[in-house]
Amino acid sequence: MDQVTERIAAVLTGKFDVPADLITARASFQDLDLDSLSVVELYVTLQEEWGVPLDAEAATGDVTVGELADEVRTLLDGRRPGDD
Amino acid sequence: MTDRTDRARIVVTGTGAVTAGGDGMAATWRTLCGGRGTARHDPALDGTPVPISCRPPHPEDAPVRQGWRLDRSTRYLLTAAQEALREAGIEAFGTRPPDWDPARVAVVVGSAAGGVAVLEDAHRRLLERGPGALSPLTLTGYLPNLSAAGHLALALRTTGPALHTSTACASGANAIAHAALLLATGACDLAVTGGTDAMATPLCAAAFARTGALSRRTDRPATASRPFDRDRDGFVLGEGAGVLVLERAADAAARGAPALAHLAGWATTSDAHHPTAPDPAGRGLRAAVALALRAADAAPGEVEHVNAHGTGTPRGDRAEAAAIRDLFARTPPSVTSAKGALGHTMGAAGAIEAALTVRTLRTGTAPPTANHDAPGPDTAGIDLVTGRPRDHGPRLALSHSLGFGGHNTVLALRRTDAP
Repeated sequence: MDQVTERIAAVLTGKFDVPADLITARASFQDLDLDSLSVVELYVTLQEEWGVPLDAEAATGDVTVGELADEVRTLLDGRRPGDD
Repeated sequence: MTDRTDRARIVVTGTGAVTAGGDGMAATWRTLCGGRGTARHDPALDGTPVPISCRPPHPEDAPVRQGWRLDRSTRYLLTAAQEALREAGIEAFGTRPPDWDPARVAVVVGSAAGGVAVLEDAHRRLLERGPGALSPLTLTGYLPNLSAAGHLALALRTTGPALHTSTACASGANAIAHAALLLATGACDLAVTGGTDAMATPLCAAAFARTGALSRRTDRPATASRPFDRDRDGFVLGEGAGVLVLERAADAAARGAPALAHLAGWATTSDAHHPTAPDPAGRGLRAAVALALRAADAAPGEVEHVNAHGTGTPRGDRAEAAAIRDLFARTPPSVTSAKGALGHTMGAAGAIEAALTVRTLRTGTAPPTANHDAPGPDTAGIDLVTGRPRDHGPRLALSHSLGFGGHNTVLALRRTDAP
């Protein structure tokens, strides 16, 4: 598990009470029993933490942990030095 | 099951509370009977004119998954409901009786301010970081219908009426009165009802201070809440929740639930006098008492105990004392105010105090009013219980609730072995 996925997993277990053994890259947020509000809250939490413009309005329960991690990585890679 | 249109006897089959006096009814009762105030310095209110409050000891507790999503007023409510339902013989958030029909269960809960702490935090975030930083849980945490009845109905998976009442500091008592009405008219078979509030927030503390309603004894917080005392100067903000389970007596007996007290009568009136000050002679309260007693088919002389609203504000206590003196001149009942010990829990107060009144009927004990050293000239002449608990076994007791806006609600509770 890479650092981004590890951090998402840590937020899911720590804040959203998701059992760690359920969290895989293929698991959707629906699989993890997150309702629509929790999914948006997850995006807001990660957006705050990494300072990346995640699109919370596009968040749905069908998105998987792996897809979110990919989106975060893409945004982090796209940031220019000094953007913070 | 009784005829659904039968205006049958309504009984209390469970009580629960979260207060600054401790976790649950037993701890709250012990604190109350100890006769000492629980107010203390509150760092969360530093920067306001009155940085003191009465807070429950474990505000983060909630008997549901992801309790952090909820305002702490909702967490108090769920915890108090769990206690009340367990006493009523219903496992609150797990298994339930086989005949539990979720469509026939009402949830009626009052609050003055909903999830105001969530709203204040969200507003601060909006100003500091913009709309993109707002949590999607802002509205579901704040909206009063959700922070009170809504989330409880969701947690219990009940599908009967789920209603919120808001009559300021009479909200919890109003919720109980409304739940009783739903039972009496057959709209439900069981009601989980009460009040909750968590208003010890910077905005609420500052706003109440601006109305002049708060005690300024910030250097001696434990003695700041002084109901009916000569030196009273206002109330102390408290937080908490109180919950009652109500059923028709025949239904409760059929399932072997304990009948803790009979909710014999209830009434609500309005002062139409002033936004924050009560009618000086307590006319609205007197009318509510008269109507509640009429509903209970009782005379003033039968009232042996009054759980007073008694906030410790100069005007409020004067009006209530005047009403009590006038109503019960021939046979003065014992009078107590829980707010000396627990502070003023706002929309929760009427429900917590109704639960405490049930306990008074069950134990025969009237708890003392904390911090009352001597009556003022305007509050003398009532038989206030002070110093230590008084054992005198009342059969009929009233619980008074008054709220900003001129709301008056009175609940008449009778011992179940009383005629």
